[in-house]
Amino acid sequence: MVLLDIFDPKAPPRAIGIDLGTTHSIVAAMRDERPMALVTCDGTALLPSVVYYGDHGNVVVGQAARGFSARAPERTIASVKRFMGRGAADEQTKKLGTYRFADAAADERVVHFDVGSRVVTPVEVSAEILRSLAQSARDHLGAVGGAVITVPAYFDDAQRQATKDAAKLAGLTVLRLLNEPTAAALAYGLDKKQNGTFAVYDLGGGTFDITLLTLDDGIFQVRSTGGDSALGGDDMDRVIAEEMLAAMGCATEASRTPEVVSVVLDAARQAKHALTDALVAEVELPKLGGGHVMYRLERAHFEDAIAPLVERTGRAARRALRDAGLAPTDVDGVILVGGSTRVPRVRAYVRELFGQEPLADIDPDLVVAYGAAVQAELLASESDEVLLLDVLPLSLGVETMGGGVDKILPRNTTIPAGAKSVFTTYADDQTGFVIHVVQGERELASDCRSLARFVLSGIPPMPAGMARLEVEFFVDENNLLQVEARELTTGLTQHVEVQPSYGLTDEQVEAMLIDALDHGEADLEARRLADARVEAERILLATRKGLATDADLLEPEEAARIERAMSALGEAIETATKPARLQLCLDELDDATHRFAGQRMNRAIAAAIAGRNLMDVEKTVEHAAGVDAHLLAHGHPVEEESR
Amino acid sequence: MDPFQTLGIEPAFELDSKDLEQRHRELSRALHPDRHVGKTPGERRHALGRAIEVNDAYRIVKDPVRRAEALLARLGLSVEEGAEPKAAPEFLMEVMEQRELLSEARAKRDRAGLERLRATIEAQQADALGRLARAFAATTPDSAALLGALGELRYFARFLEEAGAIEDELL
Repeated sequence: MVLLDIFDPKAPPRAIGIDLGTTHSIVAAMRDERPMALVTCDGTALLPSVVYYGDHGNVVVGQAARGFSARAPERTIASVKRFMGRGAADEQTKKLGTYRFADAAADERVVHFDVGSRVVTPVEVSAEILRSLAQSARDHLGAVGGAVITVPAYFDDAQRQATKDAAKLAGLTVLRLLNEPTAAALAYGLDKKQNGTFAVYDLGGGTFDITLLTLDDGIFQVRSTGGDSALGGDDMDRVIAEEMLAAMGCATEASRTPEVVSVVLDAARQAKHALTDALVAEVELPKLGGGHVMYRLERAHFEDAIAPLVERTGRAARRALRDAGLAPTDVDGVILVGGSTRVPRVRAYVRELFGQEPLADIDPDLVVAYGAAVQAELLASESDEVLLLDVLPLSLGVETMGGGVDKILPRNTTIPAGAKSVFTTYADDQTGFVIHVVQGERELASDCRSLARFVLSGIPPMPAGMARLEVEFFVDENNLLQVEARELTTGLTQHVEVQPSYGLTDEQVEAMLIDALDHGEADLEARRLADARVEAERILLATRKGLATDADLLEPEEAARIERAMSALGEAIETATKPARLQLCLDELDDATHRFAGQRMNRAIAAAIAGRNLMDVEKTVEHAAGVDAHLLAHGHPVEEESR
Repeated sequence: MDPFQTLGIEPAFELDSKDLEQRHRELSRALHPDRHVGKTPGERRHALGRAIEVNDAYRIVKDPVRRAEALLARLGLSVEEGAEPKAAPEFLMEVMEQRELLSEARAKRDRAGLERLRATIEAQQADALGRLARAFAATTPDSAALLGALGELRYFARFLEEAGAIEDELL
């Protein structure tokens, strides 16, 4: 199902799906209502997620980059996904690898790779992979619109944010960050058109996810998700590599040069792949001090060596089942995703765990990209056939005075979700307040993942305990956190200064973007203006559409103000030379349509509930009354015709 | 915010979970941000806000303790923790014993014991749920009976949550 060539220079922009994987990355798009993986610069669908940085600023991605790994291991970054959104002191950075890290003292919040000619962050490395995939997509499809990019379900906020930053840096518009297991379920669900409860077992190169979801008439509702964002096939390679290093006589740290480690990790991967079909694998390894040693690996031994890793997946799976309130026998099908599910021991383990033969009829390497392409098309075409209801993978909390965690949103809450918390000052005339947001299940804040510190400033001087700060946390449909804060006694909205604990600030991403463009700031300004024009046109069109269907909701002056705002925006699209002017017109239109937008939403809610009235008249007459009462209570008059 | 109003359902303690789920899906179909990708920023904001409200209401109504609290709030009764009447001494004795069994199971890493304890608590939880449902169904609700059963339910929920955390450790 690999798409070869359908280049059409006049084709409209097409939405694409991208699986940005630890070992491989894939780009896919829909063709004749079926997802297709696009051939990348390597001539295959699977692009190795490897980036080589040359001496003269040249960058090579994919198979060709992998070719450099033995010669220039420190300039060749593989498995960069493991470092996304992680700090320099993170456990992940200490695992066996060929990376050379730049002095971290400058910025502990982000990993920096020293690739000889320069220093790069995981976000920049990932952006190179995305850029290459986007270019392949353009070669096939002509223009590329937005992209759905998949992330492990168990990725935390910092890891998701880093992925989004990489896309931004690569010049891609992110339609959605989609959880990988949900993407796989989407690919399977549409293929099989079958309702029921499914488990998606996703063991990739560097991450493990387990997701339980139900499929019911086009709604994919995630029940629970769990996993380990630092467990995958790479860890199996490392277990074997350690044994190989011992056989080679490389016991000391000094003998494990990046060149040696690179060779050994490669040999371990090959042996692992061979053992999928064979019972014994043999590889020739260089011996310390010259000569070679023949290394023989039996499948039974390999299976014993990786047993602890495989069992870790069972723990997460059992917890996810419990969270969903399901027994293994409630599961109608188990979907296998990720190259590591090819390991026979893993497959056998899944069979035992769920008491059934798992499904693998869609290529486990491609299924996530297929699902991403499906979702990209659904979002771009505003289809209403399918809806994904996903969940928050890890609990969100705020650090309390004693270093504990006050949970504000528990894991497996359906997103988008929000919660409010009220805080108070503990000193007289305190004008500022720091709130530390963490993510995870542990009791102590220091054991959870630190997401961000928010500084609330400008609180009017008051005695201790008098100020009432209401902080509202939102998790949006991309599973990204947003925060708003208000001081309740004065009604002032507080300034929220976001300082991510890990990852890059907006300014740093901006600076990278300028660096990445040929003419830096001038190019960026031009690009912004072009983007703002497209966005303004889209909004004009959407407003017209709304007016065409629901003009009866408008007051006469309101209608006139919207008209004025629209014509001003229309003129600005033609004549504006700075994005700021467009923004001004957009803000005015936004303000003018604020009430109208709310009214339209009320009508949509009433219609959603009324849709059921037809089927179940008696019961829902009361229900509809409930909503009307709610709308009235919120100060919105109820429309007669919406009942 | 009254979660029953947000979902447009009849306020009642006993409800059909299938109906509740169905309503949540209908509203999600109308409000989920994916349904508003091409809309104006204002409409997307409104949709997001409403979708969050609906998901929050769904979470409250699905959870018996929070559902009971929402219903009590409608009756004008205080739902603050600690507002309930003092628990019976027998109940408190039982609680202490169960807590002891829980820490024992944890120390001994006794999964079977933990499982048994969980089953016992779940049976008691079901009983308290039944009492609460009957109390809500009464023509003139007895606030002492309501708050008493709610207090027990809160305790059972917390106990089961702790047992879950210990199970996580032992899995």
